[in-house]
Amino acid sequence: MADAAIEVRDLRKTYRTPFRRRRVEALRGVTFRVEVGHIFGFVGPNGAGKTTTIRTLMGLIRPSGGSARILGHDIPSRQARARLGFLPESPYFYDYLTIGELLDLAGRLFNLPGPLRKKRAEELIERVGLGRARTQSLKKFSKGMLQRAGLAQALMNDPELVVLDEPMSGLDPIGRKEVRDLILELRERGKTVFFSTHILSDVEAVADQVAIVARGQLQAQGTPAELVGRVLRGVDVLVRIADSVATDELTDGATRVRRVGSELSLTLAADVDVDAWLARAHGAGAKVVSVSPRHDTLEDLFLRETAAADASVAATEGRT
Amino acid sequence: MTDALGRIWAIALNTFREAARIRVLYGLVVLVVGANLMAVVLGEMSVREEARVAQDIGVAATSLFGSLTAIFLGVFLLYTEIQRRTIHAIVSKPIERWEFVVGKYLGMAMVPTALVGMFALAMVVTLTWRGAPVTPAIAKALMLAWFEVLTVAAIAIFFSSFSSPFLSGIFALAMWVIGRLTPDIEAATQTAAPAIKWTAKIALEIVPDLHLFAVSGGQVDGAQVTVHDGFVSWSYVGLASAHAAGWIAALLAIACVLFRRRDFV
Repeated sequence: MADAAIEVRDLRKTYRTPFRRRRVEALRGVTFRVEVGHIFGFVGPNGAGKTTTIRTLMGLIRPSGGSARILGHDIPSRQARARLGFLPESPYFYDYLTIGELLDLAGRLFNLPGPLRKKRAEELIERVGLGRARTQSLKKFSKGMLQRAGLAQALMNDPELVVLDEPMSGLDPIGRKEVRDLILELRERGKTVFFSTHILSDVEAVADQVAIVARGQLQAQGTPAELVGRVLRGVDVLVRIADSVATDELTDGATRVRRVGSELSLTLAADVDVDAWLARAHGAGAKVVSVSPRHDTLEDLFLRETAAADASVAATEGRT
Repeated sequence: MTDALGRIWAIALNTFREAARIRVLYGLVVLVVGANLMAVVLGEMSVREEARVAQDIGVAATSLFGSLTAIFLGVFLLYTEIQRRTIHAIVSKPIERWEFVVGKYLGMAMVPTALVGMFALAMVVTLTWRGAPVTPAIAKALMLAWFEVLTVAAIAIFFSSFSSPFLSGIFALAMWVIGRLTPDIEAATQTAAPAIKWTAKIALEIVPDLHLFAVSGGQVDGAQVTVHDGFVSWSYVGLASAHAAGWIAALLAIACVLFRRRDFV
């Protein structure tokens, strides 16, 4: 099997609180694989372990157990870091620098030659829309501008793998759209993008693969379609029917019924024979407007998996 | 190796830029001027000792303010990197942590070095103005003060690799004082109880002998030395620089090991 961009096996991180030395398990055996050229969305509520996982992969935190490989190198690896770009969560930079100076510093740390540093910096400043702020120090940047600056410094080395921790955080809807476009553009250019977020619509919009993490454990992983399309939750039907017609026969087996004038909207249970129901509706003189299957949304899955993780941890803690 | 030097230089340059922005340092420039003015005033109050007073105050001020600057900068620079999380975007680049620590040290050391340079310049101007010669002894004394400042900077960086600025400041200051009083502590504990004598001996072994760098007015190999007449030889300065280099290398090496083990959460 070809090397994955990221391969994480049973990754664990346990902290000790400063005085009472209580054990806090931030990661409880996280395992996942990110294929080369994919966009991987790493989803989870606050405190789930997303940032701890990313910081461990980036060599900022030492794992307590398990292993991880990035671009074929065991972490922490300088060789791997030379081929990736990283945007930290709520990025903090030296606020006395301008965006050009920040990118120059990043370029120097990647040992890029001077002319290339200058060329890349110019391109990226324009690419992230900071052209008009090039003379300002980062101290005067808004949160959204800092996020853009962070994206630019992450791309200075034209990386094969881009790791973005909450890249849409602090951005307005236009900024979020631009980041989504940038992520898609990176994939077009053959790059692998790994990003964490708790904004589910962003994941649904761009990710090829999604992993849901909660309470330091991976709860689910797959394509968005695999994750949300696995179970049929019901069928939404909208019909038009004369006011005089009784609907008792049609609402039998429905989990939700709403009638406004001549429009009858209902959700049929997943086990209802939809063809038979439609035949009955036609027989009653109803005109079918729409029929759409209802699957889980990523949000449904997210909430369910998060609740399950909470319950599991509570049960474990209750036993100990 | 060239790549590593390039990265260290990038960190050093950025650190110098950061440190040079700290406004407190501008107060130190005022102190440079103030110390020299005080040397002039005290010189006027003495009888035919204007140059001697200017030399003594100049060398003492270089050592004192240079060391205090090194401690102040050293205890804050690593800490603020971690506290403000600016380090996250740096150590996630292809830089080794030891390169980061060495780069921070070099960049930080540039500031007290510049300060020592300013003191030296101010002293030369004062002495020339008073019509006194600028002797090789003064150059040697200033070089020794510079070595001391660089060693103190390494002490500060060492403590800040695992401790808060407050504690690092106290520890570094304590080491500076103990290091400066090495012969006095040795003499004072000569007749003390064995336990005290051994404790002092161990303490002095693990603290750099900073008194080596401030010998004017004291004794070296049984002979009285003074910056005004009969000062130390150049070979002494060379040995002192080797002593400083040894301590700086050792302190930075331990700081690098400690820093390598740290989690940046």
